[in-house]
Amino acid sequence: MTALELISLVTQVLFIGLFVAVLWHAVRQPTRARLDTVLLFGSIALVVVLSRVLQLLSISDAEWAGGLLLLFLNVGPYAMIRLVDDFSGTARWVQIAGAAAFVLIAVLGLISFRTAPVVIEVASLVWFIAVGGYAAIAFARSARSSRGITRRRMVAVATGAGLFIVAIVFAFVGALVPSVAGVLGVLTQLTALAAVIAFFLGFAPPTWVRHAWREPDLRRFLERSIHLTGLADDRQAIAELQRAVADTFGASGSAIGIADPQRPVLRYLDRDGEWVEYPNDAFIGGRAFTAQRRLVAMDAPGADPDHADVYARTSANTVIAAPVSAEGRRMGVLTIYADRAPIFVEDDMWLLELLADQTAVLLEARALTTQAGELRGREEAARLKEEFLSAAAHDLRTPLTVVLGQAELIERRLLRDPAASIDPAGISRMAREARHLRDLVSELLDAQRLEQGLTVMDRAPADLGAIVEAVRARHVEHGVPLLLEGPEEALVASVDRPRIEQVIENLLENAYKYGADDKPPAMRVWQDEREARIAVVDHGAGVPLADRERIFERFYRAPNAQSITDTGMGLGLYICRRIVEEHGGRIWAEATPSGGATFVFSIPLEPDAAAETHESKRPMADLPSWPPTAVTEATADA
Amino acid sequence: MPDVRVLVVDDEADIRATVSAMLEIEGYDVDEAANGADALHAIELRAPDLILLDMRMPVLDGWGFASELRRRGNRTPIVVMTAARDAARWAGEIAAAAFVAKPFGMDDLITAVERARPAL
Repeated sequence: MTALELISLVTQVLFIGLFVAVLWHAVRQPTRARLDTVLLFGSIALVVVLSRVLQLLSISDAEWAGGLLLLFLNVGPYAMIRLVDDFSGTARWVQIAGAAAFVLIAVLGLISFRTAPVVIEVASLVWFIAVGGYAAIAFARSARSSRGITRRRMVAVATGAGLFIVAIVFAFVGALVPSVAGVLGVLTQLTALAAVIAFFLGFAPPTWVRHAWREPDLRRFLERSIHLTGLADDRQAIAELQRAVADTFGASGSAIGIADPQRPVLRYLDRDGEWVEYPNDAFIGGRAFTAQRRLVAMDAPGADPDHADVYARTSANTVIAAPVSAEGRRMGVLTIYADRAPIFVEDDMWLLELLADQTAVLLEARALTTQAGELRGREEAARLKEEFLSAAAHDLRTPLTVVLGQAELIERRLLRDPAASIDPAGISRMAREARHLRDLVSELLDAQRLEQGLTVMDRAPADLGAIVEAVRARHVEHGVPLLLEGPEEALVASVDRPRIEQVIENLLENAYKYGADDKPPAMRVWQDEREARIAVVDHGAGVPLADRERIFERFYRAPNAQSITDTGMGLGLYICRRIVEEHGGRIWAEATPSGGATFVFSIPLEPDAAAETHESKRPMADLPSWPPTAVTEATADA
Repeated sequence: MPDVRVLVVDDEADIRATVSAMLEIEGYDVDEAANGADALHAIELRAPDLILLDMRMPVLDGWGFASELRRRGNRTPIVVMTAARDAARWAGEIAAAAFVAKPFGMDDLITAVERARPAL
């Protein structure tokens, strides 16, 4: 036996082995795609066996023998275009034309293989090149559009188909042109061997090859899934997990349904990333969940006509689903879908189970993380509430002491002497502290409203320089010294004016409270690129670096502020920050270069107003009349 | 009513004025100080029989004042007067004779002061 004969024998044995393998798969689960592979490799195996039999009978040199073999060999390209349709779908006319051409060439072969073998040989050559070539290219395109192991297997199938066609063409040409028959005979055998190996890898890869092919995808999946437990947003985590599962499986998408422990529903993410609930037996996924076993639907719209529209919308013609559970707890269901059945889907059920298990692990980990987070959140909320109540109670107690004390004094004086004169200073104190109480209460309510994001209501274009100037004018009017370094031009922004004034007043109040007695605070307003900046500068103790962020937190008071005064709920700067942020700006604390604290906040300028600033005048004339506030009244009373 | 001299120490002017008026109407003789340092100075000028002391104050707080007072050997009884929840604990910390928690009315104030007086 020559080396060439050995190669030929190995190739033929492999083709027969491949036929047996695909036949075994098809018998176990007869799908159209599997039957078409049986048709493809069956025809090749038949040709192999037939040629051996003819050789044994020593009639292989008969002219009709070649024709007869060709007749069966021609089944191959027809099976291939059927497989193309199974893999990626083809136009109906392609299938009809292919079938018609096949019938034509079969009839032609039957009529002429004994009389005119050359005719059938040339016709078959054309048939092989045209149809086989088309199929090989279609497989290659299908490989390009698929992912993961499906892609690798499709590449193998496309390679096998291409090599097979080349081998057949070599054989034809060798038969038609005897002068190159020797060389082409060798090439034919080599390409045929390569073809059958490629086909084997594509259609019936050994387990170790499948695992080796899966490995990089699984590794990527695990790498991607590691960070999913840490993602803050459940929806984001699930969406990522779905993408990772689909990529790993080589499917077009996947959906994870999460079971509700209380109600019979499954929660899915819709296309906008929002949760939607369905009864827990809806969809093929729901059926897999309620039955607690995996399901494969090659024709999803047919299998679940109630949701045919949903399958159509997501191009989910093939759906496979597996329950997700851990320690007997039904956590949900993993559904993987694709436009067309990945032909190898049944080979990869172990992967589906693995992904479902991994999904369970991730859901479990996330549930624990969420629980821990909720617990921490609740503890933090309880702590804040405690601190708040304590701070609020403390702050309310001081003015209340004055109000109560002064009232009892009046009461006692009048009891002793009904004609006693009323102490005007005492009454003033009582009124002032009662107003202070009122302000504290509204501050509390403000903080409460801010939590619900309801504070900044009516925004209208206004000149920030004019707002600051109006605040300064009021302070000066009441005899409070206040410096202002104003902007050259109008800085127009869309603001809720009373709220911006509240921010400035709050900052000023702090500046008076914590600033130096001998050096009045100052304000500065300027433009920085596309935003206006307003600074309130004091010359007091300043804010320690460590506290510069925290002072804007709710209820937080810097230790050095606490030592200066006991009063203050730690809400003022928090309220400022919320108002500024709702305007799209920022607020921060700096050190005043000469000592003290500088609070700066920024407000984005109106896009077109910023361009017009050179033309516009500062609308100082239309300042609204100042509504009475605690600051002005307190100053007036003092 | 013996002539009892009380020093009211609080950084809030309104509290000082109110507490002073409440004590005066009951016949006490009252001096005021805005913080611990002022209080130490006031004691030098006129020794009180009793000190009503706020704890959190700028410049020198209640703790600083109390320890300086004792360091000088002054045994004048102190009544802690605070809005904090820790009034009792703070009173213990500086060995005060009594405490009164804000908000307090006439009766609470006088009771606390009377309780501290036997120590005179």
